Amino acid sequence: MTQARAITLNALSLYAVALVLAAAYAAQFILQELPCPLCLLQRILFAALAVGPILNIRFGPRPSHYAMSLLAAVAGAVVSTRQVLLHILPGDAGYGSALLGFHYYTWALLGFITAIVLVAAILLFDRQFEEDKAVLPATGGAFAQTAVWLVIALTAVNVVTTLLECGFGACADNPRIYELLQHAA
Amino acid sequence: MEFTLLFLATAIVMLVAWRGQRPLALGLFAAVLIACIATYLHHATDTLKLSF
Repeated sequence: MTQARAITLNALSLYAVALVLAAAYAAQFILQELPCPLCLLQRILFAALAVGPILNIRFGPRPSHYAMSLLAAVAGAVVSTRQVLLHILPGDAGYGSALLGFHYYTWALLGFITAIVLVAAILLFDRQFEEDKAVLPATGGAFAQTAVWLVIALTAVNVVTTLLECGFGACADNPRIYELLQHAA
Repeated sequence: MEFTLLFLATAIVMLVAWRGQRPLALGLFAAVLIACIATYLHHATDTLKLSF
């Protein structure tokens, strides 16, 4: 795999992270389901997954950048596994609604495991780590730049909505209202 | 509040990775990851109702 192709794949992975963050917002705003603390932590770790690809696009692919994504994905898998186990007993309805039979934290676990497998798979291709002078603007072109700014924007919007939801105190275990809007009303 | 700060820190790490110096981005990323793990350990105190 050439460096240029690896950078395109990294840009695609950023679009995948953006899709996950956007889907979480769809559940939050369309279904009016506020994310719990563990749900927020999973969102943060999905966003953290994006730092490795951003570095790959900016500085070229390096194993250390992929390692960062692996560490974020493993941490995310641990958090989502914990939430699956919290609701695993028969009779437990789970937290929030289900999508195609799985709750969001189960989908998150599958997403983090998929990320681990894909990052390990892309690490198999050594040629991407060789200098490839034939190619690329330093920032990967418009396709990659759009992906980077999209994922940064979605993370920045999460700063605002999380502040609205949790306010300046501890976030509720089972949030029903936006704390900051409630205080303002 | 801690989740707002973690999102903010993650967004800052992304901006540093895109515009700033690589070593700084790596260091900030490590700090955010450690903060995430600490937040997880702080919240994961309920006993899991499991029996094997």
